[in-house]
Amino acid sequence: MSATITQARPRFAALRLQEGGLLLVIFILGLLLTLLGGSVKMPKFEINAAGERVLVFKINAAGEREPEFVERNKFLNAQNLIKLAKDTSFIAIMAIGATFVIISGGIDLSVGAVYALASVLGAMVFHLFGPSGLHADLSPWLSVPLGVVTCVGVATLCGLVNGTMMVTLKVHPFIITLGTMAIYRGVAFVITKGQSIGDFPQAFRAMIGWETANRLSVVPLGVMVVVAIIGTIYLSRLAAGRRIYATGGNELASRYSGIRVERVKLSVFVISGLTAGIAALLAIGYYGSASSADGPGYELDVIAAAVVGGASLSGGKGTALGALLGALIIKLIDTGIVILGIDQNYSRIIIGAAVILAVVFDQFNTWLAKRRLAAQAAHP
Amino acid sequence: MKWTTLALAFGLFFPCLDIVQAQTKKSYTLGLVAKSQGNPVFQAARVGANDAAKALGAQHGVNIKIDWRTPNEEDAQKQAEAIEQLVLSGAQGIAVSCSDANKLTDAINSAVRNGVPVATFDSDAPASKRFVIFGVDDVKCGEQVMEELARIMGGQGIVAILAGNQNAPNLQKRVQGVKNVAKKHPGIKIRETYYHKETPQDAAAKVEQVMQAHPDITGWAMVGGWPLFTDNALKWQPGTIKCVSVDALPPQLAYLRSGHVQLLLAQQVYEWGYRSVEHLVNKIHLKKDPAVLHDVSPLVPVTKANVDEFAKNWEKWLPK
Repeated sequence: MSATITQARPRFAALRLQEGGLLLVIFILGLLLTLLGGSVKMPKFEINAAGERVLVFKINAAGEREPEFVERNKFLNAQNLIKLAKDTSFIAIMAIGATFVIISGGIDLSVGAVYALASVLGAMVFHLFGPSGLHADLSPWLSVPLGVVTCVGVATLCGLVNGTMMVTLKVHPFIITLGTMAIYRGVAFVITKGQSIGDFPQAFRAMIGWETANRLSVVPLGVMVVVAIIGTIYLSRLAAGRRIYATGGNELASRYSGIRVERVKLSVFVISGLTAGIAALLAIGYYGSASSADGPGYELDVIAAAVVGGASLSGGKGTALGALLGALIIKLIDTGIVILGIDQNYSRIIIGAAVILAVVFDQFNTWLAKRRLAAQAAHP
Repeated sequence: MKWTTLALAFGLFFPCLDIVQAQTKKSYTLGLVAKSQGNPVFQAARVGANDAAKALGAQHGVNIKIDWRTPNEEDAQKQAEAIEQLVLSGAQGIAVSCSDANKLTDAINSAVRNGVPVATFDSDAPASKRFVIFGVDDVKCGEQVMEELARIMGGQGIVAILAGNQNAPNLQKRVQGVKNVAKKHPGIKIRETYYHKETPQDAAAKVEQVMQAHPDITGWAMVGGWPLFTDNALKWQPGTIKCVSVDALPPQLAYLRSGHVQLLLAQQVYEWGYRSVEHLVNKIHLKKDPAVLHDVSPLVPVTKANVDEFAKNWEKWLPK
């Protein structure tokens, strides 16, 4: 009997993951989009002798030169999947940080504003060293790290301010971050005077926008994966991570068991700021500019991604991988609406319904897993 | 029996012929990316684009579909993502009104590199490889607003500028135009430029807030008509404070009739969509480039005298 259980375990291991339901939803959505999305004709490109990407032409029946096209699935093609990953990465990275806060029983409403402030301050430094900047001649080996440290450092500092205020003033994080959300965005506006800042060093743009031979921008995807792996290890393998779950699960019990709850709360806000800074850095590098209007309403997108990913707003539950998958589901639906040609007026309704469905499905999966465990415990 | 069979054959054949013709007709999908869903000027542009698709489709014997991909609120990053997605979904051309020119330049250039021509309307991305921009000359638009306001105010008074989203390059230029002309009128003093979220409620609240803080203001130069989309935005007695605003949407016309606003300068918002589609069809189907890069659309002055006549346009322009 025990041998039968041991053999069955690997076959259903994926479904027993906390994120099994999310993976299934993603698989089903992907399958539907592949089957229903149809195909698209795209111009064919090739790399010429000079290493440039050029259109391929053919001679038609009338003897005229016309571009050659290749047909491919609208959803299931490398460019679309990488674009999906890139679009997901900004929200997913922030959602991973926000999940730390949510697991600890808190909430961070300022992530969108931190993202905007880090973007504009990072952009100002990069602009100084850009082609038309005051210090355009500085080596990229110095200018790029300076900009990176500013962007990520400012966001981390914002997180530290949030956490410190929450711990010292003993005010609910909802109130603190609601206030800092307005302050950070206001500061971003004041220092930029509402102007968009661009013109960054080419080395920085090339680093974030680096593309493979077939023009796939994989850096945001790579950073997202690295952040998710580090987040997963931190939460599941390190004592510091277990302390976050303990604090969110039962703050009083954690305090009595010797956990320095204030320190834990402070650390999660710092992590949330840090991830907002990483996302901001990727976005300004990829899109090449920043303004105080960046990231409007992103706090809600980030929280939605974390919650769809299985984080409980009452604390004590959630994973980094879940946050990533939650963000992916939301982006997948968003992309699907374009691919299927659905009228955009319905997009909010569809995304809202899908978010609720995904959470219900995930909860059902968790319930099934618990039932299975109970059954195993009853009949070992 | 023979006749019945023949009639049946014809009856089946001709509809099939229609279907075959429809299937063999060349099809174009054109993406339309405006700044935000909630702004009625972009809804009028959408109607214009759809009307152009029908009219030009029939004229050239092609199917034209408009794929409307506009963020719910202004978000240049979402606009860039929409452009990238439209290219990957096989759109043959794209028209965009840019919320942040810098942020959209790469996305537009990438679309062009992939063989998808891009037109901009209302708000341009000057450093991009778009093949045409349709809209007002923004600096001149601002100048016209201030010229008219100064004329109505008799060259004397304190003016507030209502300026919408501080990040929109087209609005920044209009504000510049207003300031340029104000400098030429020694009797006119600019109190301040006021920015706000581009929703009617936020704009109306901003006007009210400013008037309470600075009751000495005697004129408003509105480079966009946002507060006038609500029906109770201007609390002053008609005629006591002079107001000139860009745009002439149906709710704004009531302010002309009531005398709260002296002049509206209508942007041709329906034409944003119509003309953009026309440019794209010329480029893609007829392989014809526009004569000039900046296709300037003049502002149409609307006053109490011609307001009823102008209002009739909206029966055609608004979404049904």
